[in-house]
Amino acid sequence: MSHTLILSWVTFIYFGAFVLYLFRMILGGRSWGKLASLAAWAGFAAQTAAILWRWKVSYSLGIGHAPLSNLYESMIFFAWAIMLLHLFIEWRTGSRAFGVFVVPLAFLAMAYASIAPGVNNEIQPLIPALQSNWLTSHVVTCFMGYSGFAFAFGCGLMYFLKTADADKPENSNRFLKRLPTLASLDLMIYQSIALGFVFLTIGIMTGSIWAHYAWGSYWSWDPKETWSLITWIVYAVTLHVQYIKGWRGKRMAALTMVGFASVLFTYLGVNYLPGLHSYLN
Amino acid sequence: MKKALRSFFSSIKLTVVLLIAMALLFMVGTFLPQREGAMEFAQRLSPGISGLFHALGLFDVYHSPLYYGLLGLLALNLTVCSLNRLPVSWKLYRTPHFPVPVGLFSKLPPNRVLLTEQNREGCLSSLENLLKENYGAIEKDVKGGHVFFSIRKAGLSLFSVYGVHLSILFMIAGSVIGSVLGFEGYVNISEGETTNLVASRNGGDIHRLDFSVRCDKFTLETYANGMPKTYRSDLTFLKGGQPVRQGALMVNHPIHVNGYRFYQSSFGSAPGGRAVLGYSTGKGQEEKVAVSVGDRFDLKEGGAHVEILRIEGNLMKFGPGVKLDIASPQGRHIQFWVLQHIDEIAEMYPELLTQFPLFDPALFKPYRFYLKEIEQQYYTGLQVVRDPGVPLVALGAFLMVAGLILRHFMPHRHIWVRVDEAGRQTRISLAGRSRHMAALDRELDLLGRRIQEKGIV
Repeated sequence: MSHTLILSWVTFIYFGAFVLYLFRMILGGRSWGKLASLAAWAGFAAQTAAILWRWKVSYSLGIGHAPLSNLYESMIFFAWAIMLLHLFIEWRTGSRAFGVFVVPLAFLAMAYASIAPGVNNEIQPLIPALQSNWLTSHVVTCFMGYSGFAFAFGCGLMYFLKTADADKPENSNRFLKRLPTLASLDLMIYQSIALGFVFLTIGIMTGSIWAHYAWGSYWSWDPKETWSLITWIVYAVTLHVQYIKGWRGKRMAALTMVGFASVLFTYLGVNYLPGLHSYLN
Repeated sequence: MKKALRSFFSSIKLTVVLLIAMALLFMVGTFLPQREGAMEFAQRLSPGISGLFHALGLFDVYHSPLYYGLLGLLALNLTVCSLNRLPVSWKLYRTPHFPVPVGLFSKLPPNRVLLTEQNREGCLSSLENLLKENYGAIEKDVKGGHVFFSIRKAGLSLFSVYGVHLSILFMIAGSVIGSVLGFEGYVNISEGETTNLVASRNGGDIHRLDFSVRCDKFTLETYANGMPKTYRSDLTFLKGGQPVRQGALMVNHPIHVNGYRFYQSSFGSAPGGRAVLGYSTGKGQEEKVAVSVGDRFDLKEGGAHVEILRIEGNLMKFGPGVKLDIASPQGRHIQFWVLQHIDEIAEMYPELLTQFPLFDPALFKPYRFYLKEIEQQYYTGLQVVRDPGVPLVALGAFLMVAGLILRHFMPHRHIWVRVDEAGRQTRISLAGRSRHMAALDRELDLLGRRIQEKGIV
């Protein structure tokens, strides 16, 4: 038994939770939804325990550090942050309709961490550049931001599906009927983008402070820095057209896709470009 | 004309266009090789395209006139937009408590209307106490049998957007100050050496510091698996030959001296260092000698002279090696390498010594040489930075985060509570105004719960 084994179980639990959320959407009935939430909570609890365990193991190896130092660990934390936000929103809104589009994102992150080629799941010691107190705050805030954008992306997908239903109400199917209303999706898109934006901003700021101490400059136009700024600009534009120009609905849903594509490129695509953040490879 | 200019610079369309143009420029910057890397790439393009890219500054987008132009326009746009909007926010901030906006209390959802059998006076006094307890400053108005309370929360949030815009101006200003008045350079110092000359990053001209730096020692530590653990330079800073400061410089722990920051940037093995050589003729005792580059010694028998040409910490990935030049009494010169791990290497490449006699430590018969060890000498690579723009950028960063938190997590809300009589019951109605409806709803829900918990209804 090890924490990596728990994490592979968590991957399956999240997939199970997704299937249960799907049953709830297709078949209806409260019990499917309750089971789905239960699975999501169980997976989240197990994942939290596994992350803490990994943290502890690193100390017993004499190379103790928060499990946020490489691609594998960040991917696991990304999934954890998505689930945290999902469970929080499910609890606050009392709606189980978001799970079917958000939980699979956590599942995909977990699956990518365990099967993608070149992802090393061993606990590695920290190289000198990573030995900083800013590591934890930088990574945590960035991925809280990314999880907000992931949630907005899920809501954007739902919005497009739902409009297909709204266009022809006479033969709409049950799945689409059970999606949240367009108005509440619209609100949720705005709120999760705003949340993600605040966290991304803090993530970029903590990253700059760290860079100031580690690289001799708060900004070096490293590709990851540059792409995080591009992502920041995309969401800054999104928030401005929403607030000033009053963009709603499909346009905002489309912008969640553009933004999330930029997030994914910042996180993963950039690793194929040479730069200072190369220890993620 | 002036008006047209002003409306052009105050339009949100311009902001969006500028931001998208910047994002596209940055994308180009991450995909096209920049600065040092651009030369080789440019040669592979056709001269026309390469010339065009050059003219647009695409091989150095972050210092191109195009980028500075966009940045300048954005700064202007932000300023004009903010100044234009400021009176609107001020008016919102100064919204009078009364009269209550027209139609505020019509069509309230049922959960915003609370009914009680209590009489109006008792209800009013306990409600007023509750509101004062929770919100502090409240305003009261009586009009036509209705009693109104008005509460404003987070009025400062109305101005958060200006904080965020101002923070961007601060950061732009800070980065301009840094690039005009700042300095960035690199210097390599071998262990034991002292210098006050730093090569500037841009153009590579030499910058003279008004103090000097000595590298006393460089230490490289590795983990058990070979990954680097610590890069550490023990430095002494001297002024007029007198040490003024000593410190251990490590990655993530820069040293601040006289307005300059020193960073541990790189390291390498310095040429030179000392090596311990052994040699024997196969019979009799093995001789040992400690040497540096340029040293000469005589071999006991035969009268040959040995000169040390090079000492390398890692020769062609074969590990430590020393290059000798042996002059025989007949005036013949033989040069070859003595590698520390020659036995293991010869085992791995059995053909090596016959193909490359240069690596044969027994090339000068009847002697065979051994390299016992070399004392590695390192140089440390320091990055030297002075950036007077940092405080302004830091202030900007703080202001931006504070502004965004205020804007998104503590939005401005204006709440009105109405108390009147509906038949024989007393009626409490809750309503409000905010750009952030979800936050307003939460606030009103909370207030409703508090009123119920207090037993007012």
